Formats: sequence, structure tokens, C-alpha cells
Amino acid sequence: MASTSDIQLNFSQNSLQEAGSYKLLELPSDLCNLVESSLDNATSLSLSIKGQENEEAVLCTQDRTYTVRSVVLSNTILIVKSSDSGGNSVDIRDQVNNILELAPCVPKLQKLDLLLRGKIYDENLAGMEIDSETTVSGLSIPFLLPRIELRKGTGLTYEQAKLDIQASDEELIRALKDRRILVINGELRPITPGYLLQILELVLTILVSLSLPHDAAPVDELSSILANDHEVSQTVTKQIIAWFGEVEDDKWKMDVRAVVGEMGLNLLREHRREPIAEDLLLTKWKSCVGDTFQSAISLDLLSGNYIKSNENSVSECTMLTYFPASALSADPAARFAHLFLARPRWKGDEISPFLNDIAVDKKERDKLLLKYCRAIIEAGSVWYTSRAQYNI
Amino acid sequence: MIIPITVAAPCSPNLLPPSLAKISHGEVVLIELQGSLNIECDEATDRNGQLVGILRVDETGNKPTLTIGHHFLEGKVVSLAKPIAILLRDNAEIEDCEHSQEAKPWRITALVKRKIVFSKRPMPITKQP
Repeated sequence: MASTSDIQLNFSQNSLQEAGSYKLLELPSDLCNLVESSLDNATSLSLSIKGQENEEAVLCTQDRTYTVRSVVLSNTILIVKSSDSGGNSVDIRDQVNNILELAPCVPKLQKLDLLLRGKIYDENLAGMEIDSETTVSGLSIPFLLPRIELRKGTGLTYEQAKLDIQASDEELIRALKDRRILVINGELRPITPGYLLQILELVLTILVSLSLPHDAAPVDELSSILANDHEVSQTVTKQIIAWFGEVEDDKWKMDVRAVVGEMGLNLLREHRREPIAEDLLLTKWKSCVGDTFQSAISLDLLSGNYIKSNENSVSECTMLTYFPASALSADPAARFAHLFLARPRWKGDEISPFLNDIAVDKKERDKLLLKYCRAIIEAGSVWYTSRAQYNI
Repeated sequence: MIIPITVAAPCSPNLLPPSLAKISHGEVVLIELQGSLNIECDEATDRNGQLVGILRVDETGNKPTLTIGHHFLEGKVVSLAKPIAILLRDNAEIEDCEHSQEAKPWRITALVKRKIVFSKRPMPITKQP
């Protein structure tokens, strides 16, 4: 009595071997669009799941990172495909009891700092260790003073970092830029702030003395002057100017805000314990960047690196203390504990720069604020105080 | 450790019967059962190729039914809250990978947006149709 619409549901011919070879992955809409267009256009899309055995797995696209969670289902899902014999019968290829869920997350870059301890690069090492071309600039670097035997294998290479760090490729590249990490002979080397400032100042001096335009400076000329007169290797120069602007057709368009910001940061960095008056900092900053770029100076460039205080209420001047968000813990509870140790209460717009690197978006940040803080509205502005009494 | 995931539709599409193919995807359909299929057999391989039941989908494509022995199940077709990618372990490379530390690659073979759910209790039927 079987009609033609009856479909026979069978176990597949090799159901045992196939068991466990399927997984279901729930896709957020942005990732779904990527996968869909890749399937439709037969373009390649590579995703990867990264993590050591003791870490929680993340899934990385080219530019984003997601946490992967396996959720157990009480129901069974059969994965059914047509059978090889064709016709009106279908095969159960696999039965699954869990599904993988993805949630966007911030890249886990803290490990990078740990792995790079003791690998800093400064002027004492400049020019000594560069003996071959680097992959990042893609330019061949002449053989320079190979006086120090390279300690190959002791450093962290870019390729190794890609394996070890739970971040997508683009996020890793951005992290290298943000953390001022050079790639020298394929190894990652954070540059010391002092040396970075020295090079930036040299660059500005050269621009002024040779009357080169800061929005179209010739890269080769700049880097060879730095190499010949100041022993700054060309690899280093090229990577640094790429952090502080755009390089196109051998012309460097300086990102004025980035350069000015870095100089301000350097002034601020000395005031970790002793606060500095805001006015004094701005004056020093102005004299440091010179007339041309004075207009770019703004405290916003230092956001997430200082806290304001009005200790000296008599003179009513605002004092600034160096307080970098990058030095805080990545764990939200520890970070909030630290923030509230530094200040018992925070204004909404003051605390947010310190949360940007642990929250994917504004929504996530508000969730953290809700969880760890108590909000008080006073005179029209929102203040956050600690929700729990942390004991450290 | 990195587990690579590639996106690739299989090169020789093996299409499902038309009534199932129009549910979500031409080659794969997900069927959710409340509970699980329990099989009693002496050798685990005995179940290979065995008939589980008869699946019927009515003309509107919304009322699937499943008959397993004397049990009759009525189901429905539901849209998934989030689309599901079906990952298949890449069998072609398993041989090489077992000897090395490299993780086995996975492949996204299909994207599914609807599934068949049999959420009700099975009804006993006395007569085999």
C-alpha cells in the first residue's frame, strides 16, 4: 500500500564509521551571510577553531573571534541525506545530541603580553640583529652588522603567534600595531616607548628640516636618512611609520593624531604616581610636538590612559594620573576591582574607555556595568560605584 | 592547536526526494526526535542499512509523519532561530592526520534553516498500513 510519497528512512550502510563525523554549528547572522555567500559563489572561506587543550575554544574568521560552546540537547537530531541507492530512500548519517553555539567575543590577546616578556627591542639592540629580509614589509633589507648571533627559536614568531593566540588574523595584526610590536627577522619584538618616541621625534625633525610634506613624505628617503645618520634600521622605520599613518606608492601620509597622541602618552607615562596638572601637561605637550601639529592636541587622544582627579580643590585645577587600560586585568571582576580601587566612583563616560577592550560592543559593556556596578544618578549624570566590596 | 574549517559544497550532489528537499536544503534534512532511537542488535554493525521507518510529507510540505514499527509520529516543520551549518569531518585527510599532531579539518557542507521536529508522543497503531 506504500504510495510514491513514502520515503524509507534507513540507517546508512556504514553507520558506525560515520557516527561522530557530523557536527551542527549554530551561526550568528553575520557569519551566516559569509558562509552563505561562500557556498553560493563557491568562493573559499576559511574559518578556524583555535585553542590549546586547556583553553576554551574560539572560532576565528578573517577579522572576528567567537567563543564556541557545546550545548547538550535533550532531543536527538538525525542528520539525513539521500541514500547512495537513490530513489525514495534516505539514510541517517549521524545522530547528534549537542550543538555548537557561537557568541562574538573580544580576541584573547593577553597571552601575547606574557609570551613577549623580555623580548623588548630598544636602541641598544638597534641595527644589530637584522640580517635578513622580513616578511611584513616584503622588502629586502641589506645585510646589516650581524654582530650578535641570532638566538633563533627563543623568540615568538609571527607564525607561532597565529597558532597560539586566540584571535583572528586581522585582530592579531591590529594588536601588533596597538601594542607597538615590531616583527624583526620574523620574531615579534615590542619596542620600548622611549625608543619609539626617539624615532618619532627624529622623523618629525627630518620632515621639518628637509621641508617634506607630512601627508606625502617619501618613505625611502626617510628610512635611509634614519638608517645612515641615526642607525635606525629600515625595517624598524618602515613598520613604525606604517603604525602612524598610511603608506602608499612610497609616500607616507602621517596620521597626525596618532603621532601627537603617542607623544602626549609619553609625557603622561611619567606620572604614574605623581599626578600632573592638566594645564601643565598640555603646555609641555605643545612644546614637544612643535607649532605645526599643536592644533591636533586633545585630551581625547589619551582616553583610556589617564584618570582625572580634583584633589587640589583650592586651586581648582584638574590633575591627571597615568592609568593605562592596557595594564588592567582582562577578567572583568578583577578589572572592576582595580578600577574601583583607583577611584571609588566613576562617571559613565569616564569608565567606558577602560572597558572597551573587554567588551565586544556597547551592549556588552552595559551588561558588564550592570553586573559589576551600582549606578547612581546625581545632578543629571550617571555615576558608577562598586557593587560588591572587593577585598584584595 | 588550530582546527581548520573550510566551506565547500560536495562536488557530486546527491539530491533528497523532492518532498524533503524543499524543506530546507537539497541534500540534507535535520530530523529532531524527542528521545532517541534505541536499537537492540547483537553486533553493532547489524544495523547498517536497516530500515528505521517510513517518512511521509504531505503536499503542503508542512505535515511530516513518521511510522516506526507500531508507532506513529506526527511532526511539524519549524524554522530555526539561527541557521545551522552542518560540519563534516574531512574523511579524505583522516588517514594522514592520524599520525601527526595536526587536527582533523572540518568542512561546512550545508546551511540549514528549517528542520522537521517530532515532538509529540508516538501513537500506537494496530494495523500496519
